[in-house]
Amino acid sequence: MEEEQTYLELYLDQCVAQDDLAPPRSPLLSPVVPDDVYMPNSSHPETVFNSHLEEVKETSGHFSSVDLSFLPDELTQENKDQSIIRSKHEIEDNYKTQSQQSRLSLPREQDIGLGLISNSSLSNSHSHLYPGDADSVQPSLEKPNSMPLVSITPMTPMTPVSECSGIVPQLQNIVSTVNLACKLDLKKIALHAKNAEYNPKRFAAVIMRIREPRTTALIFSSGKMVCTGAKSEEQSRLAARKYARVVQKLGFPARFLDFKIQNMVGSCDVRFAIRLEGLVLTHQQFSSYEPELFPGLIYRMVKPRIVLLIFVSGKVVLTGAKERSEIYEAFENIYPILKGFKKA
Amino acid sequence: MPGGGHCPDCGSTELVEDSHYSQSQLVCSDCGCVVTEGVLTTTFSDEGNLREVTYSRSTGENEQVSRSQQRGLRRVRDLCRVLQLPSTFEDTAVAYYQQAYRHSGIRAARLQKKEVLVGCCVLITCRQHNWPLTMGTICTLLYADLDVFSGTYMQIVKLLGLDVPSLCLADLVKTYCSSFRLFQASPSVPAKYVEDKEKMLSRTLQLVELADETWLVTGRHPLPVITAATFLAWQSLQPSERLTCSLARFCKLANVDLPCPASSRLQELLAVLLRMAEQLAWLQVLRLDRRSVVKHIGDLLQHRHTLVRKAFRDGPAESEAGEEERPGRGQGPGQGKEEVASRSLDLPEGKRPASPALLLPPCMLKPPKRVCPPPPISTATGDEDISDSEIEQYLRTPQEVRDFQKAQAARQAATGVSNPP
Repeated sequence: MEEEQTYLELYLDQCVAQDDLAPPRSPLLSPVVPDDVYMPNSSHPETVFNSHLEEVKETSGHFSSVDLSFLPDELTQENKDQSIIRSKHEIEDNYKTQSQQSRLSLPREQDIGLGLISNSSLSNSHSHLYPGDADSVQPSLEKPNSMPLVSITPMTPMTPVSECSGIVPQLQNIVSTVNLACKLDLKKIALHAKNAEYNPKRFAAVIMRIREPRTTALIFSSGKMVCTGAKSEEQSRLAARKYARVVQKLGFPARFLDFKIQNMVGSCDVRFAIRLEGLVLTHQQFSSYEPELFPGLIYRMVKPRIVLLIFVSGKVVLTGAKERSEIYEAFENIYPILKGFKKA
Repeated sequence: MPGGGHCPDCGSTELVEDSHYSQSQLVCSDCGCVVTEGVLTTTFSDEGNLREVTYSRSTGENEQVSRSQQRGLRRVRDLCRVLQLPSTFEDTAVAYYQQAYRHSGIRAARLQKKEVLVGCCVLITCRQHNWPLTMGTICTLLYADLDVFSGTYMQIVKLLGLDVPSLCLADLVKTYCSSFRLFQASPSVPAKYVEDKEKMLSRTLQLVELADETWLVTGRHPLPVITAATFLAWQSLQPSERLTCSLARFCKLANVDLPCPASSRLQELLAVLLRMAEQLAWLQVLRLDRRSVVKHIGDLLQHRHTLVRKAFRDGPAESEAGEEERPGRGQGPGQGKEEVASRSLDLPEGKRPASPALLLPPCMLKPPKRVCPPPPISTATGDEDISDSEIEQYLRTPQEVRDFQKAQAARQAATGVSNPP
């Protein structure tokens, strides 16, 4: 026990020293994968991270005995156990400092961490280690952490870069709402604005369009407005502000409250044909494929809560997202499933 | 004054218990309104005045089967009988209908939707027992729109959380082919057009399997493919006499509706067969076209597995020795070998078979209608300044407003004149 603690402290000192020298890296990626094997795609750390988490989650249940044969050779035997626990803490702390992904991923990581800890013989030292070594842990947390020695991915071999799809879904449409917080006279708006149409018998709102960004807005008499057609979140916000300015110029005391993105639609092409009949057989609880009604397969992903329309030509439409990362995550989740159906 | 009541008419609390012909009554002493006439029990707060509780607020809905539900259940049973389904299907379908009726959204739905729901329950039952029933058939029987049907169907599957298996293609082929009136001579069907049912069924099945393998079925409505396959099977069994008959005439003879996409499915299937024919040495010399290939469908179907493998390839263009394969692709070397082997197998004359076409769904083989340029990477932040001139371009000048109002008034007057009250 004492021996292990000494080794642990030695290792911690080593890590702190290394942090000062190592180049900054995305903290999301390095704890999971050793540097020499894997060059993360820095533009989409979230997606890569999440796809790794999938594997981590799958094998989290299989921790009956800690088999360390997968670790790279640099790690000496006595450091292996400590380093795993150590980096588990690193990961947990790192992810607590990250805002978005951690909310999704943290429960799983903690499960794995706890699973490991309970199975390891060093469970006692773990409880001493954490609070006592808070100081030495802190500096490395501040910097983007680099852990060249440790790979936490339990049991599964390192996934090479080609597993990541390399395809980025393009956003096609963003729907957002905003509250102008004043009652509007729709007739007056339709009269004084060139780009407005108002047919109360058909629909109880003014339909207004602007050219840049090319969007359409539905403006209701209560002062609420829906803006559709933008290709990015920023464009949607800009467009909504322009509509609010038009309404302002027409003499209403319009404000710009509670701007919220309600839906995002993205699309991409995996570039191979997909056997939809096979996909609906294996993923029956998520898929709905009715060729008599619609040529595509409707896949309702649970996490993240996205609906995907998958077509035989390989084109995929993703919808139902409130954030861009959900679309990317959903695509990274579906890509390996689709690859499984590439051949008949 | 009995427990906390007040007159519903004038609101007075002066209620007096009176009896009228030995029936006890609660009467308001101010306005004389009879508040209650002696009900046995009080259960709801409304019955504080011993007034009746409306049906929608009672538990009657859950305890009794409402009239519209009874009607719906009767319709379910009738539909099962019309379709000649086994009796067990009837019970299952009725159970689904009752299950659906427990949801308030269904109870409050329009009659049209409840009518369509009958069809949905029967369809789900049939699908779960692998009984080949198409949505088109049900819509025809119910005189329903496919759009309404599809909406209700998707909703009910989600609501009840059901696992509905896909339509079984082989069974559908058997049922659909049996409905063709070609197995006996009749005044409308000359003897040379009559065909043996078993032969036609087996050949149609093989053609449908071929279509499935070559991506002609995925994502498409299944029925037109089967129509095209049946037509080809029928033609190929006696090509000399039947080549002159067109698809439309064939369907009319057989007393079956011709679905619109069937002719394009037919062309696609013939194209696949032609590609396969190019791999057979003795057919290559004949230089077949879409009409003459029908005569050889029997041979092509007999060797269809080998021919499809030789005639088509999965991936992008590969060189003969497969040397351009990317090292990552495992199937590359395997396929290259196959190509070389096929080359050595056929054609002693040294005439090479046509280079393999891509085995892809037709939608991937067609050139894209318009190439979408990738969107320019915008550096919008959403908080840029909005210039006044940009906003003003969307506003009408006062003169324009006046003109517009005049024009509107003129139009109103014109329509008023043309439609005299």
